[in-house]
Amino acid sequence: MISLSDIPVRSRFQVYAPMAVMAAALSTAPWWLPAIGLYQYLGIEIAIWMIFALGFNLLFGYAGLHSFGHGAYLGIGAYAFGLFQQNVAVSLWGGLAAGILAAGLAGAIVGAFISHRRGIYYALLTIAFGQVFWFTSMKLYGVTGGEDGLLGIPRPPLTLFGLEYALRSNVALFYLAAFFLLATVLLMWRLVNSPFGRVLQAIRQNETRARFAGYEVWRFKWAAFVISAMFAGLAGGLFAMAQQSAYPDVMSLHQSGLIVMMVLVGGGLVSFWGPVLGVILYFVARDVLGGLTETWLLWYGMMFMAMVMLRPEGLAGMIHLGWKRLGGASEKPVILLAEKA
Amino acid sequence: MAFFEARNLHKRFGSRVVLENISLAFERGQVSGIMGPNGAGKTTCFHVLTGLHQPDRGEIELEGKSISGLSPQRIATLGVSRSFQIMNLFDDSVVIENVMLALPEFRTRRLSFLGGVFDDTKLVDAATDVLDQVGLAARAWEKATSLSYGERRALEIGVALAARPKILFLDEPTSGLGSEATRNLAALVRRLREHYTIVMIEHDMRFLFELADRISVIHWGQVIAEGTPAELQANKWVRRSALGEAALA
Amino acid sequence: MLDLLPHILNGLTLGLLFALIALGFTLIVGVMEVINLAHGSLFALGAYFALSLLGGMWFGDTAFGAWWLRLSIETRYVAALFVGPALAAIAGMALELCLRPTYGKAPLYGLLLTFGAALVIEEIIRLGWGTGEQNLMVPASINGPVLVAGFIYSKYKFFAAGFSIVAIFAVWLFLEKTPYGAIIKAGAHDSEMVRALGYDLSKLRLMVFGFGAALAGLAGIIMVPIWGLRPHVGIDVVIPAFLIIVIGGIGSFWGALVAAIMVGLAVGITGAYAGAWATMSMYILLIIVVGFRSRGLFGRKSALEN
Repeated sequence: MISLSDIPVRSRFQVYAPMAVMAAALSTAPWWLPAIGLYQYLGIEIAIWMIFALGFNLLFGYAGLHSFGHGAYLGIGAYAFGLFQQNVAVSLWGGLAAGILAAGLAGAIVGAFISHRRGIYYALLTIAFGQVFWFTSMKLYGVTGGEDGLLGIPRPPLTLFGLEYALRSNVALFYLAAFFLLATVLLMWRLVNSPFGRVLQAIRQNETRARFAGYEVWRFKWAAFVISAMFAGLAGGLFAMAQQSAYPDVMSLHQSGLIVMMVLVGGGLVSFWGPVLGVILYFVARDVLGGLTETWLLWYGMMFMAMVMLRPEGLAGMIHLGWKRLGGASEKPVILLAEKA
Repeated sequence: MAFFEARNLHKRFGSRVVLENISLAFERGQVSGIMGPNGAGKTTCFHVLTGLHQPDRGEIELEGKSISGLSPQRIATLGVSRSFQIMNLFDDSVVIENVMLALPEFRTRRLSFLGGVFDDTKLVDAATDVLDQVGLAARAWEKATSLSYGERRALEIGVALAARPKILFLDEPTSGLGSEATRNLAALVRRLREHYTIVMIEHDMRFLFELADRISVIHWGQVIAEGTPAELQANKWVRRSALGEAALA
Repeated sequence: MLDLLPHILNGLTLGLLFALIALGFTLIVGVMEVINLAHGSLFALGAYFALSLLGGMWFGDTAFGAWWLRLSIETRYVAALFVGPALAAIAGMALELCLRPTYGKAPLYGLLLTFGAALVIEEIIRLGWGTGEQNLMVPASINGPVLVAGFIYSKYKFFAAGFSIVAIFAVWLFLEKTPYGAIIKAGAHDSEMVRALGYDLSKLRLMVFGFGAALAGLAGIIMVPIWGLRPHVGIDVVIPAFLIIVIGGIGSFWGALVAAIMVGLAVGITGAYAGAWATMSMYILLIIVVGFRSRGLFGRKSALEN
């Protein structure tokens, strides 16, 4: 079975081919989405959730820290983006920076509280903090607009080298989100293979050993939480633009649970690409299955339960196994050697 | 004053006294052994010396400077390295990464967020060097789980070595090894003693008596005998106990 | 101070109700080391079963249905108090069977599976009973206002609080004074011991899960006339329940009780000064307690930390 940390045994092809496929799929999406009966807005949504999911998996899969309150940081990013537009200036870069920084700051404070905790206690505290943010967003009417949220958030134009591009159309906004998604993929790939990322994975595998190798474990956990909150903040800023509003619902336990489900179903525990696959699977279920039956969430939930019981390595793990049966996996020689020894 | 010294260590868990007034001294460049029956407090002693447990009382000094009360990660960065009796590896990672993560030059780069790891030839070479010392260079790029039991034991020592420690603690390095693997390990320890100060807990008395310069016997949480292998073999108490018999056999 | 008295009384009542919800939750956590996020859904399920039973929906136009509806509401209510939890217990046992593949794995999997189960049960409720808010009838004898020390109070709240005390006491008796309780407690600390005593661990787990689910269903029937019945009531109640067991210390019976009263008082008293923020006080309480005592008030080291 593949795992998150066995990257060095993969060939370059295995690493870069998915990235190329993804770039190609994203750059042509506005043509093929309508062709297969879907709509442009779905592309934006998927790109945003992929950014969120990739950032989340740094924490969930790579660091092994199970946050069940991550929707909060997406929400904070969305609110910060909206508040920046309404109170400071109508600016794309300013708004996104505000979203990233606000989510990062919230993550830094929460991370300081929880990074000494382990296992279920960690998960439970993330739920509690997530609920605090969700609740605050509903009750702090003067700032957040209460249960209705912030409405009428503009889509500021993209300014680059003195040029201006309007983002009012969904296709234009999609390209912006796709750009950020590709940047996230590259950045995240570098990050998980950097010394920092490797130490994080070492901590997941064996915290005691990591300490005896001289690493201050809780600081790494804290940093992972902050970074992943910042990606959530970026996704939140884009989300505010897509929806042209920000509302408490995205911070609810339900939404925080959804991201966990997506990442796990996709195979985030064993593969870098797990979160991407998981987001696709969720939206296919929602839009395709949802078109056929009202009860799609029931089926999605049952599929999730079955995955947890039988295939926690998710879709990515199943694809890997299928690939191996076809004889195409480069891991095979490794396994043969192990049997000889 | 010894290179690494522990004085009057006490440790209790609840009402159970595990270490009672233990004093140990390890000299630079020597191989020191710790022996004693199961449950005598040997591994707890290691845990206390390397910072996993805090002693209730007592002092621990490395090169004359107190290290008692410091966290394991602090003690590790000061040059104390250890292996574990129950193997403690990064199982999802490849063999070479297990070693790389423990290298001091990796540790100083720990806050590098974007630099690659496996394309850094300096890191890879340094880690390969360590693997060479423990005889695993050929398996560097395989998953740690694909190693045989003996190879995993060797990797366990390799990870401890990678930190380039001033003093190396080995917790039952021969445990579970066959006779050939034990011979290989003895050869390895002989090579290592040229460069390192080594302390090891060991059940295999023949192994220990062959390699150690000095041996401390721990029983009921106390040091009950101490000396060179020859002195201990002459010691009446050790002779009478099962431990001595195994060593003399 | 006197102005605060009704709020303290309110808080105490709420605390007892919280304790009733947390009871089954803490039992399952203690024995199985599974955080059952579907606990709230079993709570909802119990209440919905009772709703159907009281209204006689399942029996339709049959002779039995007609006979059933001619029975007094009191009789039907008492019957629902037994049948609702029993049906919730069956659902709980089904969930335990689903959980089996996750034993021996990281506690995360149990958490994930029960989260999925919560989603599935909520959807099933939407399908079976509709998405709207519904009312669970209660007999007139325990309904209506009552005057206490010059304040108007709901009679039903007193009934619910009294019922909670009785239920908590009964569970305590069961755990402390019966051989079954002794086995369950042994399982909570040492599953090897249970096997060594010659009991079937998988049967024990099934029973404990069923028992915990029955308590959840019972709590549902008691609480829902106060809180209202809607499909996502499960998520609404599982949050206070898990806050309580974390504050009290995972797996501790007395911890859960003390924490529930604390949370109830915190909510009640905050409600007096800043009604909108009452719910928030639970989370603040949790963060304060766990900030100082990482295992909660009465918690011991547990496998859930790995």
